[in-house]
Amino acid sequence: MLIRIKMIANYRDALPPHHKHGVIELEVPEGTTVYEAISRFDIPLNDESVIVLNGLTVDMTTPLTEGDMVTAFSAIAGG
Amino acid sequence: MYGWHLRILRVNLTTHQVTKEDVDPKIARDYLGGRGLAIHYLYKEVDPTVDPLSPGNKLIFATGPLTATPAPTGNRYMVVTKSPLTGALAHSNSGGEFPTWMKRTGFDLYIFEGRSPEPVYLFVNEDQVEVRSAAHVWGKDTHETTDILKAETSEEARVACIGPAGENLALMAAIMNDKHRAAARSGVGAVMGSKNLKAVVAMGNKNPALHDAEAMRSISVETSKNVGADVKKGSNMRIYGTSYVPQVTNTLGILPTRNFLQGTFEHVHNVDGDALKNQYLIRHTPCYRCPLSCGRLTEVPDGPYKGKGEGPEYETISSLGTGCGVSNLAALVKANYLCNEYGMDTITTGMTIAAAMEMYEKGYIPEEVIGMPLKFGDHDAMIEMIKKMAYNEGFGKDLAQGSYRLCEKYGHPEIAVTTRKQEFPGYDPRGSQGMGLLYATSNKGASHMEGDVAYEEVFGVPVKENPLTTEGKPELVKHFEDSFALMDSSGVCVFVGIRYMFNKDRMILPQTLANMMNLSTGAEYSPEEALKAAERVYNLERMFLLKAGSTEDTLPHRMLHEPLPDGPAKGKVVELDKMLPEFYKVRGWDEKGWPTKEKLEELGLPLN
Repeated sequence: MLIRIKMIANYRDALPPHHKHGVIELEVPEGTTVYEAISRFDIPLNDESVIVLNGLTVDMTTPLTEGDMVTAFSAIAGG
Repeated sequence: MYGWHLRILRVNLTTHQVTKEDVDPKIARDYLGGRGLAIHYLYKEVDPTVDPLSPGNKLIFATGPLTATPAPTGNRYMVVTKSPLTGALAHSNSGGEFPTWMKRTGFDLYIFEGRSPEPVYLFVNEDQVEVRSAAHVWGKDTHETTDILKAETSEEARVACIGPAGENLALMAAIMNDKHRAAARSGVGAVMGSKNLKAVVAMGNKNPALHDAEAMRSISVETSKNVGADVKKGSNMRIYGTSYVPQVTNTLGILPTRNFLQGTFEHVHNVDGDALKNQYLIRHTPCYRCPLSCGRLTEVPDGPYKGKGEGPEYETISSLGTGCGVSNLAALVKANYLCNEYGMDTITTGMTIAAAMEMYEKGYIPEEVIGMPLKFGDHDAMIEMIKKMAYNEGFGKDLAQGSYRLCEKYGHPEIAVTTRKQEFPGYDPRGSQGMGLLYATSNKGASHMEGDVAYEEVFGVPVKENPLTTEGKPELVKHFEDSFALMDSSGVCVFVGIRYMFNKDRMILPQTLANMMNLSTGAEYSPEEALKAAERVYNLERMFLLKAGSTEDTLPHRMLHEPLPDGPAKGKVVELDKMLPEFYKVRGWDEKGWPTKEKLEELGLPLN
């Protein structure tokens, strides 16, 4: 199934160069979780990162469905 | 005593008489300094029901015990007064260099009272204090004023001043320092203008003596190293400043768009941090002794919006940009420069124009009143409105009163997105419930800087909190409000303070910050005691605004009754009734929101 990965600001460096405004499409097997999808990219997967599914706070073991967007950004600084 | 000078400079602008007073060390300890010490004096000396623009109001510039010390970001001051925008309390924070230079004059606070018969500025070089004519700079913008006053005093001096907006008593007038830094919110610049005080020029070499200078240096170096390690890893705050935030809030569906009619902006990539970095960024610009350096020096090199200056930061992008539906980045950058030069708060300016745009599009304000069409997204009209506001021209007179009074005048107060008549900052609380409780109860009207729980709800600092739930939010809001009161009183910046001077546990304690305050002052605060002092400050501020008649903790119609139409928080309103009664309990306030006798006694505050 096809999902989307969005990286914000400095995390865009972890995406392949063809991304559009920090978004790429990704083919993943059915049942892939948020954690499994995002761990394909070279970003810290600890409290330095915020990861949301379709903009919502979810458990990282949540399975993805077709068209979902997983977004990651750095929690190092506030706004 | 160390850290504090324990001296106040009092300037009677009516008589031009200047007096120097001592501060009781116990009062300094109990109220911390900065914002805390300022509310102590404001509460003691000003009738809360006073007309904010009358000579009876006082304007207080306040540095903290960490200002002008080696503490990283110990470069802040607060401007505290009664606000003409909210009718409640104003306490606006700024950094840059002026606050450090002010502290080095040998005074912790400047208190301005009365009203000068003619325009003046204050020059302070340690004990040389002069009230001088400002006739030659009255009418000039903040950049020209700064250049002229430095040229006629000293290049070593630093300047805080108002621009045309403050002179014309626009209710969104800011006090600008070092040209680009703003004590922006709640109309503090209008209070300065009402006193005919154009500028304050400060210089000196009186660094505060420190209780333990060696240990202070050591902890400051260590804290700076921690910030530096994150900067090396690629901190967004260094690369983008706060301009990376629109992508974050857009993802969560809480980016103010078209006067909060929406929570996502379809052209966000035109006005985000990458667009700014790729097109107009020259370099980052730090405040004094800041290892983070989130300021942005930018330039639009040519075209109709040609200019050079600082910004925009996130709050400007979400107000003058997405708030107005504006996606032309060059025009947005230019609008920011104009606000800095005229001396205006970009949040209230932007969101007032946004409200006027909605009123125009709905037919509530006709084109002939405005003098031109004013549709969402019309960046040229936005820039024209800024000029009219600053100079009180035509429809600008209505705009200069802020969005609440504007919408009320034309029969639709429900369009204004304000609390206590102050415009919302860049987090739509329908998708960030804790922020909703914060805006409703804030001592200064809607403001993220009153206790920015977006750190947890949005940015995951120190831990990620679900922004759509209400559980636990009353405790979280109280804790952040007290923590911000502590930072504002100490003299450090919240950007570095909250991340590097508090423990990273769930309910964070200000271990490093309290330590720094002790090494500066010798006051021996435990972290709990420092937070308790901040709670004292918060409650005294609360008493001031309640006595001023600002007793209603609520949110505007849109936030309570109009669900977000788009984005991840679609369908949500703020569930204030689920949080407010619990918040009052957590605060030790009665069911109407007044601090109880027991709470006032516990904090050692006056009972009447």
